[in-house]
Amino acid sequence: MMAEPALIKIQMVGRLQHRDLVLRSVAAACKLVNARPDSAWADFRTEVVTAVGEAFNNVVLHSYEGQDEGLVEIEIQTRPDHISIELRDWGASFDPESVPVPDFESLPESGFGIYIIKTLMEIQYKAGHPNVLTLSKSLNGSATQHDTVDGDL
Amino acid sequence: MTFTVSTLNPGVIRLAIEGELDAVTVPDLRKEIDRLTSTSPKRVEIDLSSLRMVDSSGVGAIVSIYKRIRGQGGEVVVGGLRDQPLAIFRLLRLDRVMLGADLPGPAVNAQRNSE
Repeated sequence: MMAEPALIKIQMVGRLQHRDLVLRSVAAACKLVNARPDSAWADFRTEVVTAVGEAFNNVVLHSYEGQDEGLVEIEIQTRPDHISIELRDWGASFDPESVPVPDFESLPESGFGIYIIKTLMEIQYKAGHPNVLTLSKSLNGSATQHDTVDGDL
Repeated sequence: MTFTVSTLNPGVIRLAIEGELDAVTVPDLRKEIDRLTSTSPKRVEIDLSSLRMVDSSGVGAIVSIYKRIRGQGGEVVVGGLRDQPLAIFRLLRLDRVMLGADLPGPAVNAQRNSE
């Protein structure tokens, strides 16, 4: 049976305490992408959840830095073998293209988030009011123009 | 996330981290890192065999322990990584630097903490 296209919308105050709710929703939505979960799908789900977790962290910790009541809207769209997640916030904007690749040799303790997101999913960002970050990924193809994950993510 | 701190021998500490280490849970671990580094152990074994998920802030905390203990002249061994945490460590090229062999020996004098 083919998976039917689906649209899920979530609206919340952007707090780290809501991270788990967001990621559980995204993980559940991944089930709508493929009616026959297998190991490739499990890897797909883990990569999507990992990337969205980093994106949500960025919204709360950077876009809404110092604020406790910033609004976050998350729109998840699924169709067979594909998912896209849109995160909207009304906080500070940033340019993901200006974020450098971490200097791995120096063992940095931060600055990994955007690199992880870009590696695991396709990314589009539109600064504005709201800022709109769109992450997308296909089940049957790598979503990245960067490094690939060579583990069992 | 829960973590367990065990003294294997004088100056040899094992830190076992379980569950999800992320931006929500990492502040608790950071407090333990401060306490642990203040004792200047000669060796810290970080057991991540029960770590299910990690995000960039969790990785940052592990790197922090590694750098601080080594900066004090101590040794750090990270072991037990698998699944998503292993993939993230590989993605961030930390596997070449930080990952050691399997961690030997039973833990004694364990103190367990949880969020």
